[in-house]
Amino acid sequence: MALATGVACQYIQPAAIPQSSTTSTLPALPGQQTGVFTTARPTMAAAMDDFMNRRPVYEQPLDFPHNIHAGKGVECAFCHDGVDKGPAAGIPGLRTCMICHDAIATDRPRIQQMAALRDKGLDLAWQRVYGFSADDHVRFNHSPHIRAKVECATCHGNVAEGTVAERNVDHTMGFCVNCHNERKASIDCLTCHF
Amino acid sequence: MARWGMAADLDRCNGCGGCVVACHAENNISTVGPEQASRGRAKHWIRVERYWEGDFPDVKLKFRPTMCQQCGNAPCEPVCPTYASHHTEDGLNAQVYNRCIGTRYCANACPYNARFFDFFNPSWEKPLQLQLNPDVSLREVGVMEKCTFCVQRIRGTQTTAKTEGREIRDGEIQPACVQACSTRALVFGDLEDRESEVSRLSRSPRGSKLLEDVGTRPAVTYLARLTEEA
Repeated sequence: MALATGVACQYIQPAAIPQSSTTSTLPALPGQQTGVFTTARPTMAAAMDDFMNRRPVYEQPLDFPHNIHAGKGVECAFCHDGVDKGPAAGIPGLRTCMICHDAIATDRPRIQQMAALRDKGLDLAWQRVYGFSADDHVRFNHSPHIRAKVECATCHGNVAEGTVAERNVDHTMGFCVNCHNERKASIDCLTCHF
Repeated sequence: MARWGMAADLDRCNGCGGCVVACHAENNISTVGPEQASRGRAKHWIRVERYWEGDFPDVKLKFRPTMCQQCGNAPCEPVCPTYASHHTEDGLNAQVYNRCIGTRYCANACPYNARFFDFFNPSWEKPLQLQLNPDVSLREVGVMEKCTFCVQRIRGTQTTAKTEGREIRDGEIQPACVQACSTRALVFGDLEDRESEVSRLSRSPRGSKLLEDVGTRPAVTYLARLTEEA
């Protein structure tokens, strides 16, 4: 009887929480500036930008002419050489450029600038134009897509006719799932979202 | 199609807690601080349960590493209104953060206390944010999270094996807890493959499941201690 009244029905009051708890004073992570509650985006503005498909403008260090390089028969994977090996295709650094440009078109001022930059041990700060928001909770791996013989142009548009890299194709979930359905690839959530 | 499962040999577990640390590091699990932890808001995808038996000085201490049991008949799944919690073909209880609206029904339904709600956006004191695992999502405030059997490692190994045109070897996939286990008490693998170590251990007469009688059909088998009477 004593057990039933004394122990089993005991209600434990949670300890009082001070207003300034340590967790709220920790620095916020990138993209999480506010404590606004949305399950998908950290701020209302971020959600609107995503919905309206407004993207930041990507300023590249130089207007790389994809059309000239592809026109001369350079394969995409020659410079983006991680594409068949793992998740990221890779944005090539100056050392990759200079494999060819130590010998080719060395009289152009821009190439000479690049050579000077390389000699100083510096690199070009290319901006990534594709990629998912961290809030999308999505993982992409290039190599299985290359193995499935998906053309680069399917997801990246006709880069061979454009100059500097820009976002030509919107990588929405519908875009991915359509292709996965057509090719009978897995459409289980855990294939991409984890 | 594989069916992923785990075996935990309680005779080998010495309660070091290495699995817990490895899990936190691998899966970007944020800590909430002592005040919030006292309100039951701490998140540990795996924990080492301690059971004291007997009176001093004749006490026995038993350990049981407990994580999401990846039930075959999971109570968390039918209660989810958005299908955020659902079953995959390879026997995992998936938790899809994009779909989760934070009703917390699943955590209430789970008999193992294996699901944790994010009461806060994750944050780390600088420079600890640099050690985050890029292969795992950061769960924002308002979603439910739990042990995934390190699905990022499963999917990664599946992709690698397929690229190399071969089958996945037994023991090739190691969730962080299994990799960190110093006594090799935890074993992970494919339960469909009768030759795999985990499948062999799961059929052991020492084996039992947690709360077997509630009919959840867990994928984790616990092997009883042999040194019980010693």
